[in-house]
Amino acid sequence: MIEVENLRKEFKKTIKDPGLRGSVKSLFRPKVEKIVAVNDISFSVPEGEILGFIGPNGAGKSTVIKMLTGILTPTAGKCTINGKNPRENRKNYVKEIGVVFGQRTQLWWDLPLRETYGVLKEIYEVPDDRFKKRMAFLNEVLDLDSFITNPVRTLSLGQRMRADIAASLLHSPKVLFLDEPTIGLDVVVKDNIRNAIEEINRQEHTTVILTTHDLSDIELLSKRIVMIDKGQKVFDGAIADLKTKYGQIRELDFETDCPDPERELDYINRFSLGEDDISFEREGMSVKVRFNSSAVPVSEMVGYTLGKINISDISVKDADIEEIIRRLYSQGVEQ
Amino acid sequence: MKSIRRALKMYRIFAAQELKRMMEYKADFVIGIIGFLLAQVSNLAFLWLIFRQVPDLMGWSINEIVFIYGFSLIPKGIDHLLFDNLWAIGHFIVRKGEFDKYLTRPINTLFHVMVEKFQTEALGELIVGIGLISVTLPQLNVQWYALKIILGIIVIPFAALIYTDVKIATASVAFWAKRSGSVIYMFYMVSDFAKYPATIYNRVVKGIITYIIPFAFTAYFPAVYILRDENPIYCIGMTVVISLALLALGVFVWHKGTRAYESAGS
Repeated sequence: MIEVENLRKEFKKTIKDPGLRGSVKSLFRPKVEKIVAVNDISFSVPEGEILGFIGPNGAGKSTVIKMLTGILTPTAGKCTINGKNPRENRKNYVKEIGVVFGQRTQLWWDLPLRETYGVLKEIYEVPDDRFKKRMAFLNEVLDLDSFITNPVRTLSLGQRMRADIAASLLHSPKVLFLDEPTIGLDVVVKDNIRNAIEEINRQEHTTVILTTHDLSDIELLSKRIVMIDKGQKVFDGAIADLKTKYGQIRELDFETDCPDPERELDYINRFSLGEDDISFEREGMSVKVRFNSSAVPVSEMVGYTLGKINISDISVKDADIEEIIRRLYSQGVEQ
Repeated sequence: MKSIRRALKMYRIFAAQELKRMMEYKADFVIGIIGFLLAQVSNLAFLWLIFRQVPDLMGWSINEIVFIYGFSLIPKGIDHLLFDNLWAIGHFIVRKGEFDKYLTRPINTLFHVMVEKFQTEALGELIVGIGLISVTLPQLNVQWYALKIILGIIVIPFAALIYTDVKIATASVAFWAKRSGSVIYMFYMVSDFAKYPATIYNRVVKGIITYIIPFAFTAYFPAVYILRDENPIYCIGMTVVISLALLALGVFVWHKGTRAYESAGS
């Protein structure tokens, strides 16, 4: 059970003018600016849930995770995980959590992977028999055997991520924090990792908090998401709600030699759409149309466009998070 | 008692890990050893040149000076061998956000950082130090009795701790300033004054190494007791007191620092 109440984190930042002169100037007369990275965020996560924590780059996701894991001290507000405060009695607290930062590794870089697990076993005081069982389980879920004797520095990114997730789970934590666990991975590896997370959650009832800026990660794993932007919570609820409200946007990309495709196609009148349902962008030959697929089905849209003007190279994409957030703002935040 | 046992066990495990790491890069290890031997040979040649010119200095004979010089290398070498990783806090661990890792593990962060690496180059300091002491001692007219032998041995880990304390406190500056390599360096370099009898310096330097950055207690004062039987309560007792007081200060600053730690973007 995770409770987050009015969590806030400020950083001080020295503003420098560009160039060496600016740096020297700021050395003597620093201009300090307060930056609010996380502003009054509250939410709670029941035990055993997989919560997707999403937002664009720089939204404050990692800062929240770092406060929940006891790395950063909150400026205000509080978070309790299973009744414990991350910053009080840190050593006791961290035994109950597992943490993976996708951009970093906690593995012993120069040694065979197996060595890392040996040391972590001692750090977390896992008894021998439990350790054996645990390694067998993690190996089954994350398939470590093929590279467990290789030095960590030689692992591929996907292997390293699996190894890091295993490292965070060695001591059977009740809560698992994953910060961008699929960043930079290809589709197949992403899929493996998602399956592993699902498996662990199902078998052990581990609470998982997962940040990502890839919506597809979340769609497959969690029913509920918390979305933040610019340090504030903008959405908290079922992913299906988000989709029906804002996520029905599709992007139609095509190339055409038609001189004025916007007037030629005239989507608004043809499908009697509202202002919000469609946007049109054109750059030379290539055209980007964003439309609300609940107002006009994708097949109709594509069929109509293809029949109306001369088109080459057409594709349809899901809206990405940036697009959803853009719409959240333009429509006002409703919760 | 249990926590000491656990700390020793963790230390053994980290040390084994570090040895394995060194074996992984054999060429680097061998070249490192050769490099340190060459460096020590040139150090010794330099010392010999200097002390050939200086028969006696402010009442200190050449043998006494060399003894103090040699004695100073032992605590310095011990700290250097065991706790060199504190420099990494000042150079990159904090700045790059790698300190995150330590905060998410159920071990004292300071202990974890300190024992993670060891610096084999320091063996050079230890070997030279022991060598210089064994060469000069027989030529000095030192009274030996049980208490002196015991105190002389006990003082060494506390003297080494003074080095470690200074590094802990100065490395912690990185938690606020993001890096503190130059701060550690500045303070650490003051220890060069500790290699010679404190009486040869003017009052300012003597005051600094006695009262402010008390490196005089790492070699000079213990040597005053060992060589001349002067005031063991001050010479040895103060070394112990100062090292423990500085440790308390270092640990305090460190823990303040971990609360101010800002990580790095990811």
